[in-house]
Formats: sequence, structure tokens, C-alpha cells
Amino acid sequence: MFADFDKPPFRPLLFMAALLLAVVWAFPIYFMVTSAFKAEPEIMALPIHWWPQDFQWLGRFREAADFAPLWWYFFNSSLFAVTHVVITVFFGALAGFGFAKYDFPGRTLLFYFVICTLMIPFQILVVPLFIEIRLFGWENTYAGLVIPGLMHAFGVFMMRQYAADLPDELLEAGRIDGASEFYLFLRIVLPLLTPALTSLAIIIFIWSWGAFLWPLVVVQDRELNVLSVGLTNYSQPYQQVPMWGAAMAASTIATIPIACLFAFFQRYFIKGLTAAAIKG
Amino acid sequence: MLKRTRLGRHWWGLVFVLPVVLFFAVFSVFPVLFGFAISLTDYNLLDEPFYVGFDNYRNLLDDRLFLTAFKNTLVFVFGATLPVWILSLAVAVLFDQAFRGREFLKTLFFLPVLPPVVVVAVIWRLLLHPNGVMTWFAGGHQGITEIPWLANTTLAPLAMIVVHDWAVIPFFMVIWLAGLAGVPRELREAARLDGASSWQMFWHIDLPQLRATAVLVAALSSINAFQTFTLQYAMAPDPGGPANSTLVLGLLVLKYGFQYFRMGDAAAVSVVMFAMILVVTAIQLGFNRRVR
Repeated sequence: MFADFDKPPFRPLLFMAALLLAVVWAFPIYFMVTSAFKAEPEIMALPIHWWPQDFQWLGRFREAADFAPLWWYFFNSSLFAVTHVVITVFFGALAGFGFAKYDFPGRTLLFYFVICTLMIPFQILVVPLFIEIRLFGWENTYAGLVIPGLMHAFGVFMMRQYAADLPDELLEAGRIDGASEFYLFLRIVLPLLTPALTSLAIIIFIWSWGAFLWPLVVVQDRELNVLSVGLTNYSQPYQQVPMWGAAMAASTIATIPIACLFAFFQRYFIKGLTAAAIKG
Repeated sequence: MLKRTRLGRHWWGLVFVLPVVLFFAVFSVFPVLFGFAISLTDYNLLDEPFYVGFDNYRNLLDDRLFLTAFKNTLVFVFGATLPVWILSLAVAVLFDQAFRGREFLKTLFFLPVLPPVVVVAVIWRLLLHPNGVMTWFAGGHQGITEIPWLANTTLAPLAMIVVHDWAVIPFFMVIWLAGLAGVPRELREAARLDGASSWQMFWHIDLPQLRATAVLVAALSSINAFQTFTLQYAMAPDPGGPANSTLVLGLLVLKYGFQYFRMGDAAAVSVVMFAMILVVTAIQLGFNRRVR
């Protein structure tokens, strides 16, 4: 299988193997996107229609929006994900900088405290967190939806590593100029961390955008649901006839933001994914 | 004077980390302890919680739903993790070779990482329709028009594993590729000069260098698989169905907690899950120490 692959004569074989894998793996995504533009009976048509014969620009999307508050879902998902990104990036960088460059009592202990939370799977939190949020009176509100995920320990962990690599002389120079510590963070540390912050922002966005369990349990109003939960309305069993066209249209909409991030920030995207994997 | 200000500025570090620490105290660490406390009670959200000691855990031992979910989770973890480990490595090695069109094909292969898991579930629910596309691919040429992929208690759990693996293999390929990129070029060049074949180079040079990655992929993919529930919720005909054949622990927490409102039982199940995941993490750390 691994016989001298890199000698030129064997490359067509490699290409064919890679092509086959790529086609098999990409097919479901292709099917989703093309089905979003098909007329409803065409979606189930066999042999399958590789390209919509009766091409519909917005029909399926309109159908999806008529049946459920699709644009509210989209808005809620965006609000949810963007808030998490902004807060995690800012406070993660601030705390990472604090842990990396200051020597205050209890530093190691507090750092382990934060890192420990990385090991907690969300499933163990969902029941007690739900009860806690109910006590706060935040059940079925934006506050209850958004606040518990505002920060992710991974942000602190990643930012501490990058902040530790910043040269101390730079900070000292700033201090000699009379800058306050917070000013140093805003004007020197944050700009220098921008590449790492971009990767972090992308990974947090992916996690938040795909979040399912917490939004599923904490809100009941349709207008408060996020896209990932709302999506199941189109294909779920209590819906007698699944609306596959609408389901594919909504699924395509749910994939577009992440696909855009991938298209425009490919390097940061891959870096973020790898960094998130190696955290443990 | 100078000395005092220098010591003083370190307190700023505490100020900087404080928001994060307080947040995790309230929304992570407290709920874990609180969850353990709830698991020692009977609580239905309406009446006062009632302390029952370890009864909830004891009851789990002969709770048929729990035992089913436990078994299904283990089957899923082992069934899903091993193929992921091997296939993602094989694909990474393939895409690590130099050939024309590699970047484009790699990008196509990577596409399943983009949609959220719920979207994956919805797409595959359609593809695996009994008279759908996958039936046509699998049996269309033989005149088979109906395969109950998701309605059969043997096929459904298998479908969960296949779809899960389809979705995560490209992700783990990226992790392996990062590991492969870290293998020193000089080592490969030296081996090539010594006349090593590609297979020998892979076996004797790349693999030993990839040990840390190997442990990482194994641990990460099994921890991921332990927490699975979105596919079983949204792709199965009904959550955990048919006939509880895809009921996993993550789904059972949801069922006990938010369908039956048995918060004590739900919390007990989640504590068991946490313990199992901690064991996997401990094994990973043990391996890591040996690797280094």
C-alpha cells in the first residue's frame, strides 16, 4: 500500500485514490447544496438528479422561512457565536497575559483551576447548570442562552502560551514611557497577539455556531432558538411529512458562515483546529 | 520607592485573571459540585429535592435503560474510534505525498468538517431514507428499492458509527498531517540515501516520530465518541431509536433530565460519564509520559 509512492510513475494511482476519497467525502455536502435549489419531488428522485433540472433560486429558502422563524434562528446563532467569540478572545487574552507576565501570589493554583475546567465535558454541566440558570430566573431568555458559554478555558490556555513568548523588553519600554498595565495590554499585547487571536476566534466561532445541547434545553420559545436546534424542525418525526427541501436550504444556511471562515482564513482555520486538539 | 512599584504591578496580573477565574467558579466548577449533590437527591424541579444518598447510583445498576445506553455507548466508542484512528492516518499519509491536484482534493475531502453536527445528522437522515440515495447506491442495480437503514436495530447503530466517522476523519487527518509535518526532513533524506523503501521509511521513521500524535488522536477521538448524542438525537427516527438501539449515555442524561424531569438520575448518569472520561484522560496522560 505504501510502496514507493513518490516516484513519478505511481502518481496517477495516488491521484485516483485521492480523487475517489474526495468524491465520497464531499458528495453529501454537494447533495445538500444542490438539493436546496431543487423542486421538492426532485430531491427524492432516483436515479438522483446531479444538478437541479427545475432550478429554484429561493423557493426552498422561502419555504423554510415560512414554516419556522429561520431568520430569527440565524440572528440568534450569530448573536450567540459572536458574543462568545468577542468575550472569550478579549478576556482570554487578558487572563493569558496576566498568567504569563505577572508573578502574583496563587498564580499557579489559579491557572490549574482554569485549566481543570477544560476536562469537564458539557454533559456533566447541563443538569446542574440548567437548575442554576433557573434559580437566576434566566430560563428561556437570551441571558440564560448566552452567558454560561461566554468564556472557554481553551482561550486562556492558548493565549498564555502566546503571551509568554512576547519579549519582556517591549513591556519594560512601555512602562518607562509611563504606560499603565492595562494600556500595555491594549496597545502592545493585543496587537502582537492578533494572529493567535484570529485562530482562537475562528475555533470559538465554530464551537459556538454548532452548539446544540445547551440551546436545546435552556430555551423553549421558537424565537429564541438557535439555528442548530431550529433545523431539526424540518426533518423531525412529529412533522408528518419532512420538508426535505426546506431542511437542505436551512442546512446550507447553517454551513455558510463556517464555510466562509474556511475560505477566507484557511491558514488560521487549520491552525485553530490543530491548536484546539493539542490543548490536553 | 522603585521596588514597591515593581512588586505592586504584579497585582495587576491578579486583576487581569480575576474575571475569568470568577466566571469559571460560577459556571463550571460550582455546577460540577452542585451536579454531584443533585445526584444524591430525588428532584423533579417542582418539589423540594429529597436526599437519598447513593440510591440513584445503586438503581442505575439494574436500570434497563441505563444498561442499554451504557452498552450502546461502549459499542459506539470502540466501533467508531478504531476505524477513525487507522483511516485518518492512512488518508493523512496519502495526502502527505506529492502529486498533482493534492491541495484541491484535500480541500474537498475536508468539507465534512464545516457543517455543524446537526446539519450532518439532517443530511444523512435524508441520504439514508429507506427509498433514498444510499439505498440506490447500495442496491439500485440489483433492483432493491428499500433498505431500512435507520429503522433497523442492527443497521441504525452501525449507521451512527459510519456517519460519525465520515464527519470526523477529515478533522483527525489534519491532526496527523500536523504530526507528519513535524518529522525532521533530514531523517527521511538520510534513510532515502540508505536505500530505504517508502514503506520502510513510514514504518521506521515516521511512525516512531508520530507516537505523541497517535496517543492524542486515540484519546481525543474516544473522548469525543463518549460524548456523542447529537447524531442519535437528530438522525435517528426518534431520539435514541429505533427501540433504544441508538440510546447513548449523553442522550440518557437529556431524557432523564428534560423529558422525565428526574434530575437526580440525570445527574448520576452524567457523573458516571464524567468518571469514564476521566479514566480515558488518565490513560492518555500515562501513555504520554511513556512516550516522552
